[in-house]
Amino acid sequence: MAKKKGFFLTRWFKRAFLGSDQEVRDFMQEEQVQTPFRTMAHNFFSKHTVRIGLIGFFLIFLFVLIGPRFWVLDLSDQDSTLTNLPPSSNMMDVPKELKGKIADIAAGRTYGVGLDTDGHLHTWGYTRITEKINIADIPDEVRNADLVMFAAGEDHVVALGDDGQLYVWGNTRLQQGQFSSEMKKAMKANDATWDIIQLEASNQFSAALSSDGTLYLWGNTNVADIKLRKQYQGNIAKVALTSNEYICLLKDGTVAYTGFKDKGSAFAAIPENLQGVTVKDIAATSSTMAAVTEDGQVVVWGNAKNGEKNIPAFSAPVKKLYAGRFHYTAWLENGDVVSWGGNKYHQTEVPASVAHGANIREIYTGNFQNYAVMEDGTVETWGLKGFFLGTDGQGRDLLTRIVNGGRVTMTVGAISVIIATIIGVVLGGIAGYFGGKADMLIMRIAEIVGGLPFIPFAMILSAVIGSRLDPTQKMYLIMVVLGVLSWTGTCRLVRAQILAQREMEYVTAAKAMGIKEGTIVFRHILPNVISLLLVSMTLDFATCMLTESSLSYLGFGIPLPTPTWGNLLTGANNSIVIQQYWWQWVFPAAIFGICTICINMIGDGLRDAVDPKSAER
Amino acid sequence: MGKYILKRCGYIVVVFMILSLLMYSLYNLIPTDPARQELEPQRKALKADEYQMLYQQLRKEMGLDDPLIVRYLRWIGLWKDTDGTFNGVFEGNFGYSNLYKRNVVDVIKTPMGNTIFINIFSTIASLGITIPLGIYCAVHKGKRFDSVTQVVTMLGYSIPVYIIALIFMYLLCVLWRVFPIMGTKTPGAVYANGWQEFVDMLYHIALPVIVMTFGSLGGMTRYVRSAMIDALSMDYIRTARAKGLREKVVIYSHAWRNALLPVITSILGWFLGIFGGSVIIENTFSLNGMGKLYWQGLNNMDFELVLAIQMFYSIVSLIGSLLIDISYGLVDPRVRVDK
Repeated sequence: MAKKKGFFLTRWFKRAFLGSDQEVRDFMQEEQVQTPFRTMAHNFFSKHTVRIGLIGFFLIFLFVLIGPRFWVLDLSDQDSTLTNLPPSSNMMDVPKELKGKIADIAAGRTYGVGLDTDGHLHTWGYTRITEKINIADIPDEVRNADLVMFAAGEDHVVALGDDGQLYVWGNTRLQQGQFSSEMKKAMKANDATWDIIQLEASNQFSAALSSDGTLYLWGNTNVADIKLRKQYQGNIAKVALTSNEYICLLKDGTVAYTGFKDKGSAFAAIPENLQGVTVKDIAATSSTMAAVTEDGQVVVWGNAKNGEKNIPAFSAPVKKLYAGRFHYTAWLENGDVVSWGGNKYHQTEVPASVAHGANIREIYTGNFQNYAVMEDGTVETWGLKGFFLGTDGQGRDLLTRIVNGGRVTMTVGAISVIIATIIGVVLGGIAGYFGGKADMLIMRIAEIVGGLPFIPFAMILSAVIGSRLDPTQKMYLIMVVLGVLSWTGTCRLVRAQILAQREMEYVTAAKAMGIKEGTIVFRHILPNVISLLLVSMTLDFATCMLTESSLSYLGFGIPLPTPTWGNLLTGANNSIVIQQYWWQWVFPAAIFGICTICINMIGDGLRDAVDPKSAER
Repeated sequence: MGKYILKRCGYIVVVFMILSLLMYSLYNLIPTDPARQELEPQRKALKADEYQMLYQQLRKEMGLDDPLIVRYLRWIGLWKDTDGTFNGVFEGNFGYSNLYKRNVVDVIKTPMGNTIFINIFSTIASLGITIPLGIYCAVHKGKRFDSVTQVVTMLGYSIPVYIIALIFMYLLCVLWRVFPIMGTKTPGAVYANGWQEFVDMLYHIALPVIVMTFGSLGGMTRYVRSAMIDALSMDYIRTARAKGLREKVVIYSHAWRNALLPVITSILGWFLGIFGGSVIIENTFSLNGMGKLYWQGLNNMDFELVLAIQMFYSIVSLIGSLLIDISYGLVDPRVRVDK
């Protein structure tokens, strides 16, 4: 047995690709004649670049093939609260300093704010709202104040000091920090009418509720219905905010829609089974509202698009109800915790340590996050941790789009190569085999088609024929257009090969032996052409992928929202995206670049293996 | 030779006619009605039957009801128009751009100048880099520099040009702020003289030229290198060296001249490719060129404009292939093109 040489990984690859006998070969075996195919395979696999290319390509290929099962593409998917998020996984990482001494938590869109028992504020998650505005930049007056209560909204945080002063920071450009004159008066007086018991913040508006039942609402009046009908003022026990409305629990235990949206809207229509029942808690997601009746039953109404109305069976009456953007979390009397509703970011998958009878002190929910603070001060979290590769301008997960886009790009590339090869082989075969006028005509056509500028022609075909097609048909159209425009190389190759092979001695010999023409062509000539065909197919595959992506990039390929590696980069050529949202172009560009480089490496290696003369170049 | 060129010119004319007919009929697949478009502003002022009459009259005037081949021949300028004159492509009338509300010829002038200007710049730049690089790599085949160049050029032709553009934009425009990110002139600039204007334009097209050059390095360097290696492995090189000629003479006088033949084909073919490929570059950098115009025309369904640009592309490619064949004969006297 020969001494082991080289790094163990290299040995592994050698064994995997060449078989284990390679290491113990002696000179006798060295002399053995190999079949041309074995020589080719040996030449092919013995090159570093080829191995790197093969491994890289297969990894990407598997990723793109299997990935869509895990990252399922939803074409209608978009979320305005998750736009342009950078790659992160820290949206639920409660800071170390806060662990064990949590006094209060407010969970916002993609961030959390926490107060420890020493009165220090901490923030975590993605706190940046715009380039200039950052939730983590807590104003000094807030740091110095003794906070008693706070709430986090989409892009702003509201906090209440023990002197009755309200603070707002984050995005305050849309009146998030503009208090009404009555509020200012009450704040200044800081008497019984300003004994705040509940503070809420939502999409650009906030609410503060005083113990005497007075509700104060402020913020961007253009997005939200934040006016209060007079007859309810002074009679309110709890408030819950959706993203554009709010509802109130009145002191007599009934639920009322106290805003000015008309009676017909889904929010104003309080369900009939809540009439005459005492309600003890309310909560609201972005577009639904829920109430807990005195006997612990939950009633949900509003525009339930994410399964908010699929209320599970509870093992005990509900004690308290919390709501995120698309989901509800209920804390039951027996200590169990149940979540339901939209589960896209696993926000309803309650961990086992929390689900059944744990010693929970309090539960907090953000848009997509849930925090359960235990009696011993530890925190259990479930929900959206962050996006591995960030999100795009419409709040879609970039990883999902890259995986699914890769599948589309590769499929288009592969099918158009197959179309091009079929056309090329047939026409090239006819030209090479029959020669004469057919040859002349086909080669002239090939010359014209090959000479035309590729991208403008593909654009025109896609625009003119594709204007009346739906997205799926357009995808097929692109495949056909790419195939029809890129067959000339293959055609020329096949023709030249057949012409050359026909004059070879083995063909003459075969003819002399009386073998039929057809057998000569298919059994003798074709195998010699196939290896070269394979090379051109591999290289064409990369070219077709490049062309498809260029077309999609220009907007004449596969239309949005279907992702491809090309149209993921469509919006990337402006300075804001290039500079601030680098992940939106770096990741698609990187995986696409690596993929085409790998394919070209394989193709080059294949060509060198098939045609050893070219390796000398 | 003259006879051959004549023959080829005839061939070009035939191919051009076929191509233009194909393109013209392709556009006629699109359901548009120029007569209705023309009448649309007056529609409200007219009564229904009045409108119908005017519409039919206009259709007749525009010749919309004639068969496709007649309309095509009118468009190309070989058939009498409805007013009895020849007024088509051959007479210099490329149609009317709906998007710009001007004649296509006027619309195309500036962008065509820009495109040719940019392409010539980038062609000179890339040839200036690739040919010496390719020769150097071929002479020093297998050395470290050669293998590094092989890898880098592989990157160059594997990565799509718009990704290269994005990377360069990020580095040169965003990080280091050397070049402006897009456009062909400083917004609102007033130039004292033509020279200043020229310099400003050069400054603006520098980055696109760099990107185009970089994008085309890969293929061309490899081509020059392999042609040169082929030439260097010939017997006459060994003879030349055996005669005791200096290495420089062997490489540049003996080998390079012979390597030139395949290179010339590729240079011309690739010069044509630049015209097509510049669609992406011009869009990415918002340059006012043919590619951008073409893209705008397609997006806005301004098909007379698009058709005219398409004809330009076809002509460029046809004349290019003629030039390739003629230059074969000029570079290599052994090739008798007029056989």
